[in-house]
Amino acid sequence: MPDAPPAPAVVLHGVRKVFPLAAGPGLEVLDIAELSMPAGTWTALRGRSGSGKTTLLDLIAGISRPTAGTISVDGTDIVAMPEARRDVFRTRHIGYVFQTFNLLSAFSALENVMLALAFTDAVPRRAQRDHAAAILTRLGLADRLLHRPGQLSRGEQQRVAIARALANDPPIVLADEPCANLDAQTAREVLTELLAVCRDSAKTVLVASHDDTVLAAADRVLDMAEINRAGARPRERTVPA
Amino acid sequence: MTELGMALRSLRGRRVASVLTALSVALGVALVVASVLLTRGIKAAFVEGTTDYNLVVGAKGSAAQLVLNVVFRLDSPLPNISMSTYEDLREDRRVEVAVPVAMGDAYRGFRYVATTPAYFATAPWRSRPFAVTAGRFARDDPAGQPGYEAVLGAEVARRTGLGIGDRFYEGEEMAAYPLTVVGILRPRRSADDRAIFLSLPSYWGMNEIARAMTIKPLTAVLVRPRRLADLPGLHRQLNVSAQTQAVFPSAVLLGIFNLLDLAEDVLALILALVAMVVGLYLFVSMYGATWERRREIATMRALGARRATILRIVLLECGVITASGGAAGLVGGHALAYVGAQVVAGRAGVVADPFALGLLQPAVLGGAVLIGTLAGLLPAVMAYRMEVAEHLAPLS
Repeated sequence: MPDAPPAPAVVLHGVRKVFPLAAGPGLEVLDIAELSMPAGTWTALRGRSGSGKTTLLDLIAGISRPTAGTISVDGTDIVAMPEARRDVFRTRHIGYVFQTFNLLSAFSALENVMLALAFTDAVPRRAQRDHAAAILTRLGLADRLLHRPGQLSRGEQQRVAIARALANDPPIVLADEPCANLDAQTAREVLTELLAVCRDSAKTVLVASHDDTVLAAADRVLDMAEINRAGARPRERTVPA
Repeated sequence: MTELGMALRSLRGRRVASVLTALSVALGVALVVASVLLTRGIKAAFVEGTTDYNLVVGAKGSAAQLVLNVVFRLDSPLPNISMSTYEDLREDRRVEVAVPVAMGDAYRGFRYVATTPAYFATAPWRSRPFAVTAGRFARDDPAGQPGYEAVLGAEVARRTGLGIGDRFYEGEEMAAYPLTVVGILRPRRSADDRAIFLSLPSYWGMNEIARAMTIKPLTAVLVRPRRLADLPGLHRQLNVSAQTQAVFPSAVLLGIFNLLDLAEDVLALILALVAMVVGLYLFVSMYGATWERRREIATMRALGARRATILRIVLLECGVITASGGAAGLVGGHALAYVGAQVVAGRAGVVADPFALGLLQPAVLGGAVLIGTLAGLLPAVMAYRMEVAEHLAPLS
């Protein structure tokens, strides 16, 4: 008898996102009838620029709210949550790796990772420094702890961003074009590290990317052109490992 | 990492702008502190330095000039009066004390004040008795027998380095009449600190014109009546005379205070404008910094920082800038007041205390932090209202 499929970590139902315009009805960028991500799986999201990948990630992260629909993350409806609770929920459940790293330039690598720990009590304050150092060390940045982003290579900056996303040990990791600003070799290295860390702790990963390396590493690939249509259901395609 | 730690790191990230902003706060605070200390100090110095005598009698002319010259050793002297004016007052039964004063030349900028031992005599009505820290008071020389003894004010001794037994004079023409230091006065925080006291015969002996005069000249007579009720009569009588005038020093002091109050009002207006300019600069600086950092703020929000956390961090940045700038300004203000007090003392003989502590310091520092917080409120609200997704988008 085959194993039962894992429970979904993320479920979207009837989600629409319309950006208001100065005049007119507004710009509809997302309309997803149904989407679910099984826990512990690695999903790649592909699509042309402007297809709504980042908007979808932002909605799942609770950074922005959908115009309509429900989003359930780890069994919790985040749309119904007040913003302040959603902020706390995000720190505990979601790690977000940005395309442009978004490291704070005045903060060292260590401080950038500690920043993610500052807004939650997941790690006691006295242990935060050691905890952040341990994650950075695991990602090969033991000798770069006190370097500021401007003193790091792009690959190192992305590793710091990954360390920051993983700092609170979130069950779900979202990554927006994590390799877009890296050369092929560095992209492969960064991806391998991200994969290793996430697979070790059975995290659910959703990566928006054009990169073939990323797409090849995913358990499944979702095409925005297929899921982002009113009433359309996503067609899933299994990519061989 | 605490919110204060985050604020400090953000300030460190834009070090030059932060230092310049703190510097502008420091300058504003220093200006306020120095101005208030100096005006208050000058006022206090006038009060402390005023005379215990009720009347100053001198030659006809400006009443303010007479008091400023005789009591505060400011301004130029009025013409002389004759010794007979003093002798008449001394014999007047309504007068308890009459002290003659002659002023003229100076040694290294410190005025010679010739008088009698009565000037230094202990009396119950004197607010602060005279005392010497070294030596003794000058002897009361008999007429025509000058002893050329000098008693130095505390500031004179400090600045000239003269000590007991030292002989001094200024100018070759005075070489034949050197003065010998016999005493140094205890500091009095008045114009007496900057005076060189000698006997009237010594003064007249040193002065070529006075030597030739049969009726010796005086600059003024300080008068204290037996009863205050006699004061108006004395005042009227002396003013009726064609040669003399009698002035109430308190009335002149009141006039000076009125002038100082006016200057204080103008200064307060200028300082209010300074505070506004500093506040505006702080606002522009914080607004620009917040706008430039909108991506970082959005990142912090994405990492879980609540809107209120961001608001507090921006306000903390303002608070740190104004508190550090304000503290530096307090130190700078006292330093500026010290320099100002030296200049005022050197030019006007009024000794203001540049290190007076009181409510001023916490009030100015608190005011600076309040202005800084108000200036940072709009940028903080802007950061508070910032939409995260909008500012996290990759830069094109």
